[in-house]
This record gives sequence, C-alpha cells and structure tokens, in this order.
Amino acid sequence: MDVLSNLALGFSVALEPINLLYAFLGVLLGTAIGVLPGLGPVATISILLPVTFTLQPQSAIIMLAGIYYGAAYGGSTTAILVNLPGESSSVVTTIDGYQMARQGKAGLALATAALSSFMAGTIATFIIAFAAPVLAEFALDFGPADYFSLMVFGLVAAVILAHGSVVKAIGMILVGVLLGTMGIDVNSSLPRFTFGVPQFGDGIDFAVIAMGIFGIGETISNLGRTEGEREFVKDYKGLWPSPRDLKAIVKPALRGTFLGAALGILPGGGPVLASFSAYALEKKIAKDPSRFGRGAIEGVASPEAANNSASQTAFIPLLTLGLPASPVMALMVGALMMHGLYAGPQLIAEKPELFWGLVASMWIGNFLLVVLNLPLVGFWARLLTVPYRLLYPSILLICCIGVFSIRNDALDVIVASVFGLVGYVLTRLQCEPAPLLLGFILGPLIEENLRRALLISHGSPSVFVERPISLVFLILTALVVLVLVLPAIRSGREKVFAEEAN
Amino acid sequence: MRIRITTDLVTGILFVSLGLFAIGYGWNYPLGTPQRIGPGYFPLLVSSGLVLLGLILVIRSFFIAGDRIEAIALRPLLAVLLGTLLFGILVEKAGFIISAVLVVVLARLSDRDFRPLEVAILAVVLVGFIGSLFWFGLSLPLHPFPQW
Repeated sequence: MDVLSNLALGFSVALEPINLLYAFLGVLLGTAIGVLPGLGPVATISILLPVTFTLQPQSAIIMLAGIYYGAAYGGSTTAILVNLPGESSSVVTTIDGYQMARQGKAGLALATAALSSFMAGTIATFIIAFAAPVLAEFALDFGPADYFSLMVFGLVAAVILAHGSVVKAIGMILVGVLLGTMGIDVNSSLPRFTFGVPQFGDGIDFAVIAMGIFGIGETISNLGRTEGEREFVKDYKGLWPSPRDLKAIVKPALRGTFLGAALGILPGGGPVLASFSAYALEKKIAKDPSRFGRGAIEGVASPEAANNSASQTAFIPLLTLGLPASPVMALMVGALMMHGLYAGPQLIAEKPELFWGLVASMWIGNFLLVVLNLPLVGFWARLLTVPYRLLYPSILLICCIGVFSIRNDALDVIVASVFGLVGYVLTRLQCEPAPLLLGFILGPLIEENLRRALLISHGSPSVFVERPISLVFLILTALVVLVLVLPAIRSGREKVFAEEAN
Repeated sequence: MRIRITTDLVTGILFVSLGLFAIGYGWNYPLGTPQRIGPGYFPLLVSSGLVLLGLILVIRSFFIAGDRIEAIALRPLLAVLLGTLLFGILVEKAGFIISAVLVVVLARLSDRDFRPLEVAILAVVLVGFIGSLFWFGLSLPLHPFPQW
C-alpha cells in the first residue's frame, strides 16, 4: 500500500541514528525547559531555535518536533505536580491532575498523562499519514485568491487562541502583519520601514521577535510576579497504573484522541480547544460527574490525549496548506524558511523524505517521551525545586547568545531587547503576544497572494467571492467573527449593567 | 464622565499611534493600480485597519469599565533590559566573557535578594558552560576576550 511504503520511507529517515539522536535530544531538552515554570512550548522552541539552524533540514525539523512534544509534556508535569500549567493546553490537566497528586497519586497521574499521550500520538500519526496527502492533493487546486482567504480565515480563527479581548487580538495580528512588511519589497525593491538601517533590509528575523517577546519579555513578567505559594508534591510513588487503572484510562483516552485529532486540524482550534472540549465531554458522559475536580482519572487521560493528538494533527494544515494553525506552527514555518523550505502542498511531493520522516518521528518522539519520562519523573520534580533566581539568568544568557548566533549580528540582540520590552508592555496591557507572531509569519504570504490574485483578476476584488473555495473561507471567517463578537457584546453589556448597579 | 486609564484605552492609543506612524512614514510608498498593487498598498490597508481597531478600543473604554493597568515591575524591567542591551552593544568590542557576565549580574540585580557570592559562582558557571556550548557545539564566531 502507498501509505505503508511512505511510512516505511519515513521510518528509514527517522530511524537514522543521527535523526534519532536529535529526536532524543529534542524531547530531552524540550521536557527539561518545558518543565520550568513559566516556559511553555512557544518559549521553549523560541529559546532552542538557534540550536537547530546548523542541522540538516530533516534533523532540524525532527528535533523541533521533539522539543515541542517534550515541552508540552513538561507543561503537563508541572500542571500535575505543582498546579502550574506550563501552557494553556494543560490548564485543564491541573483540575484533576493536581488533585490526584495531592491524594498521593502523582505517579499515577503522570503515568496516565504519558500513556494517554502516547496512545493519542500513535493514532494521530496514522491519521496524518492517511489524511495529509489527500488534503495536499486538494490544496494543489488552490489559486492565490483561495490562499488569501484561507490565510485570513486562519488568522481570524487563531484569535480563538487568545484569551481576552477579540479587538486587541485582531489588533495584535495587524501589528504582526505590519512588522512583516519591514524590509525590501520583493517586487519593487523599495525598502519599506527600514529606517535607513541596512540590516533591516531583510526584515526582522522572526526568531529575534520570538526570543525577545517570549524569552526576555516573559522573564521580566515572571520576575514582576511575587513568589506564589507553590505546594510541591514530594511523594510520587506507585508510578505504574494497575490493570484496573489502565481499563479506566483506555476509553477516555480514545475519545480524547479522536476529538483532539478533529479539532487540531481546524486552524485556530489546536490543543487548547481540544483539551477543554475533551474534559467537558468526559464530564458530560460520566456516570458521576461530581468526581471531576476531585481527582478523576478520566479528567487527566482524556484532555492529555486530546491535546497531544491535536498538537500533532495541527501539522496537517501546516504541511499541506502552509497554514500555521498555532504560534508553535508559526515557529515551525519560520524554521523551515530558515532552511529554504516552504511549507505547502508541494512539500510532500518535493521533499517526501522530510515530510514522511517528520510523520514517523512524531511517533518516535511520543515513544521516547514515555521511555524517557517515566523513569525521570522524580528528576523533573526535583528540577522544579531549583530556585527561579538561578534559572532566569541562564534563560536570559541563552537568549542573548541565541539571538546573536542567528546571523552573527549584535544588532539583533538589541532588537530582541526592544521586543522584550514590547512583550512585557503587552502583558501589562492584557494583549496576547502570540497572534502578533502569527500575523508576522503570515503577513508577507497574504500580501503576495493578494497581489497575485488582483493581478490575475485585472484588479477586480470580486475574485475573492467568485472562486468557490475562497468564498467558503470568507464565509467561515465571517462566521468566526460573529461567534467571537456576539459573546463579547453580551459580556460587555453585562459589565455596563454591573457598573450601573454599583 | 471620568476617563479611566484602562488597558483598553492605552492599547487603543498605541494602536492608533502605530497605525498613524506607519501611514505617515510610508506616505511616499507608491500605491500602484488595483491590478498592479504597489509596495504602499498593503501597509496602508493594514495600518488603516490598526487605526480603526485602536479607535474602537478608545471609544469603547469610555463606556465599558475595563481593567486597570497593573503595576509595572520597574526594577526587573530595567535590570533585565539593560543587561541584554549592553550585551548587544558590547559583545563585538568587549568580547563574550565580559558581556555575558554583565547579563547575569544585571539580571540578578532585579532581585532585592542579591547574594554576591552566589551571583559570582553563578556567573562563572553559566558563562563557562553556555559559552563553551555555543563555542564548541555551534562553533559560533564569538570573541571571548576584548578586541581593541
């Protein structure tokens, strides 16, 4: 069968000792950094990005994927052990995971998270192997107008990822898009917004922005916070689930896997939505919903499976349409571009070893996660007790050198510092910085497709509603805006009324 | 009506200013024709959108009680940014070791709980470890010592 031979190709790439080594390193580093409080996958990947620049493209993307899974798992570990979600998709895990830990079942909770994730990862790998080529084939029919509408949809849908104000989130996207126009315009070779600085001719590197905002900026935010009361769980005995526990895990994990896989494909859906929906589903179908919030094992198994399978199927729109569905995927696009590769429908045909190698490495990455993390749980837990005052200077130093190493330019470090300030100010203003990064990555692509679409249509904007694919995406965009804005108006009204009542 | 300094208001003002600045700075970029859009077309479109959203935020902040801006942690902000800025300014002239030590020491100054001995040990260990990691691991062309 075609898919099987492709998977065989993938495994032959992913199992090359050098790639296996990088997958292992990625998972290890990703977990190590992801487990640190305040550092989610986006920050972890941003910080470690320069390490992958010197590698072969396959190895680099395999290592980044490993970092991603590792960081996601690290986030779940802190969610369970210290009630600190490392990222938004493990917020749900804190509800029952931390309760389990407090009841002395931390080991069981961690094992449940690892095993559910592994199960989800295995199934999601096959879903990608079957679905991605079909979708890529379909995407080959896309014209510039369709891509334009698809990307607008992707950006607007990504707003779901941002908690808080919709207007602010869309504004952040536009700020990112505007930043993306910096540099010499490819068509007219006119330098735009370069302020006379020659190094800005190529625009700002996205890794500089990412490390500035998520590395430096978040460190400042963390330092500004007072030391919260962290209740450490010291006891994590009884790691292996009993057969009865396993039986209790399997079904919720399966439900979580498929729900997560479906939501992960949607742009803007992603792991956050997946884990929340999975938790809600489990609670709804449970015989005794009152157990939830008091250490229900399904409350860990299902969301963990869901966010893992969603984080994997999120690669489908990225690799087949070139559409990053989340900030992490935006980082992946950036990393691919660094290696001169453009994500899109051609990628599968032109670089099969890269595509299938990545698919196979997803499964291997998940396998390594289980192998690596079950024995190391105690170690990670101890890492959490390292005082923050020893950690953050290392994070800052790694950011400085990392930014410098991108193109051996000290100016980049200064620019990153400015973005550190921007990142801190944004958190003070309750603006999520993630949509900015997404806009920055997609902005140039949107402009290029807009230009091409208008060129083909002789300047008539009606091309965007005449092409059916484009029209569908625009309608979807309008629907998403409606869904987002309606509750905002309602809650806004409630606030007004609450104010008047006072 | 009292004007409240909310996050919405300040964000709105920032959006409007940035949008207006971009429109002004890019005023001479050719817009092109609808069929052949010029380099100024897309930035103008985006900046106008930004101004519009900013105005919505500003106007809305007069009617809806938003959240006030939380206190700004000035000490960490200045200490951390000074460290990374100095690294960028100094690294090519003063060399990696001096600039990296500055990052670590300044970063630790953001804490009131400054322990000189601990910071000294931390600086030596971090600069040695991370430096050699990038030096040997990634063969980064960084001078460890000052270049005069």
